[in-house]
Amino acid sequence: MSTSSPVIDPILSAEAIAARKPGPFSLAGKSIVTPILLTLILLAIAIVTVMIGSKPFNQVIIDLFVRVILVVGLYVFIGNSGVMSFGQIGFTCLGAYVAAWLTINPMMKKMSLPGLPDFILKAKMEYWQAALLAALFAGVAALFFGRVLMRLSGIAASIATFAMLAMINTIYSNWDRVTGATSSVVGIPIVRSIWPYFTVAAIVIFIAWLHAISRAGLALRAARDEPTAAAASGIDIPKERLVAFVISGAIMGVGGALTAHSIGVVTPDNFYLSLTFVTLSMLVVGGMGSLTGSVLGVVILSALIQGLRFLEAGVPVGGSMLALPKGLQEIALGIIMIVILALRPSGLFGNRELTLNRNRSE
Amino acid sequence: MSYLSAEDVSVAFAGLKALSSVNLKITPGHISGLIGPNGAGKTTLVNVLTGFQAPTSGAVTLDGQPLTNLKPHQVRRRGIARTFQGGRLFRDLPVIDNLEVTGVGLGMSRRAAIAEAEAMLDWIGIAPLKNRIAGTLPYTDERRVAIGRALMGRPAYILLDEPAAGMSAPEASDLSDLVRRIAKSLGIGVLIIEHNVGLVLGLCDHIVVLDSGAVIEEGDPAAIRDSEKVRHAYMGTAADTVRANLEVMA
Ligand SMILES: Nc1ncnc2c1ncn2[C@@H]1O[C@H](COP(=O)(O)OP(=O)(O)OP(=O)(O)O)[C@@H](O)[C@H]1O
Ligand SMILES: [Mg+2]
Repeated sequence: MSTSSPVIDPILSAEAIAARKPGPFSLAGKSIVTPILLTLILLAIAIVTVMIGSKPFNQVIIDLFVRVILVVGLYVFIGNSGVMSFGQIGFTCLGAYVAAWLTINPMMKKMSLPGLPDFILKAKMEYWQAALLAALFAGVAALFFGRVLMRLSGIAASIATFAMLAMINTIYSNWDRVTGATSSVVGIPIVRSIWPYFTVAAIVIFIAWLHAISRAGLALRAARDEPTAAAASGIDIPKERLVAFVISGAIMGVGGALTAHSIGVVTPDNFYLSLTFVTLSMLVVGGMGSLTGSVLGVVILSALIQGLRFLEAGVPVGGSMLALPKGLQEIALGIIMIVILALRPSGLFGNRELTLNRNRSE
Repeated sequence: MSYLSAEDVSVAFAGLKALSSVNLKITPGHISGLIGPNGAGKTTLVNVLTGFQAPTSGAVTLDGQPLTNLKPHQVRRRGIARTFQGGRLFRDLPVIDNLEVTGVGLGMSRRAAIAEAEAMLDWIGIAPLKNRIAGTLPYTDERRVAIGRALMGRPAYILLDEPAAGMSAPEASDLSDLVRRIAKSLGIGVLIIEHNVGLVLGLCDHIVVLDSGAVIEEGDPAAIRDSEKVRHAYMGTAADTVRANLEVMA
């Protein structure tokens, strides 16, 4: 951008500015310490799990890492843009089915999913190759949907994202020969080691952090807080939203692939309202505007859920078993969430991040 | 000669005519004033010039090229910047980041944006505010940060919506000096909306008076000061303060 008249004032001349040694970027309150600390917390959880060596507990922690991936994916879009999306789990569905398509034994696939194109029917990939392609596929789908959705804002945008979720669910629930419709697609190789899940969760945390401190993340958060001024500052709001939507979609997709490998079966309803509700709750309880909040929200709520499940199954007290009535888990969880949000409407962490320096905030 | 102009711009809001065939032209290095009573349509005109409001009829042109269909961020990237009546800073961000975000919005790298932001704060004389959180600033400083933000990337034109509102006389006079420097030493074309008519008469090269959406008078400060129509338009609104202002200048 140049003016038609020459700049006379020397301190604002291009040379004077170029010669300056600018201060470091402030990172808008986002220090690299945050993703490092969060990764260390997850690493500690992983090490303890391996040391305990219990199979069911191992599975619980794998679920936890998958949730971390999904909720961080939500944070990238929802947290930075401030636009509530009910549709991101749709990308998880897409990713999970990509993993199923590419990793199930070709013999089985011919029988259960005969409508798949030939090159997919013949494919037999490693889970990590499939997971990368799942991220790619979900990211491209997010680009496709996002081009339309990002023009909307407010309630209209949120409703449209919900419509997208419903649409994906309907297609996958009915496209018998490609997705097996509502019946379970089985035979997905199960990955029982905790390390792949930990590694992807850590990578995703760093990607979210890099996006948050990038020009795109900075512009998007400015637009979230003051959209009119952001537009008057040259920020193309729909474009910045789309960037975050695509990154989020890819993360949700890889999360879907890992979900598929953690349980070995998929159905469209695994990736619908209930998962949407659980992951959004974790994001909101942790604090939408905070990467720390999205990771620790998962850890805290998952611990609560496990605790309640444990009580529901029954604890021996004296000679008898004391058990909570079935269904109380959901009710108790709902109450706990409402209480947390009543006390801290912007979630446990609000906009703050975990750092070594106590007073950092955005 | 380059210029930014509104040509026969009209805006209607559900029957209310906010602007009726308004013509206005600003040129680099010159300060134009836009005055008029509350609800006259001043902000609406700035909204039209910056892509926030589509005109019902008429056009906005930059050096003869139509701008009317551009979105606000595209208008900004063509070198037309504005401030807002309410400040509208990014309240949770430090002052330096407020300017940096705008640099980034204009396509600069973060490093280049910070270098320019720092130079800009120095130039305006608010370098010590650099790390203050914008939402905690007093009124006067908030206005100057908003101006600094609008000056990022050195626009060709800047439109200031009531930058001196609520300022004391010495503060308003500092602001006048800043606006003069923006026009005279950066060569930027300025449009300033201001209720303090004294300030406008002392500062502007050319003044346009809006009333009920129509231009009722325009000319240099002397012509505006002597205009019966202008005195009349202000009667019944903020008549006393305006008359006092006009008399101070006379
Ligand atoms: N978005 C809108 N929808 C409906 N009416 C509007 C809208 N924006 C402005 N108006 C009306 O248009 C008229 C002009 O408003 P505008 O804000 O441009 O006045 P102004 O000259 O800037 O006033 P002030 O000095 O109070 O800032 C007013 O009657 C206002 O109520
Ligand atoms: Mg106004």
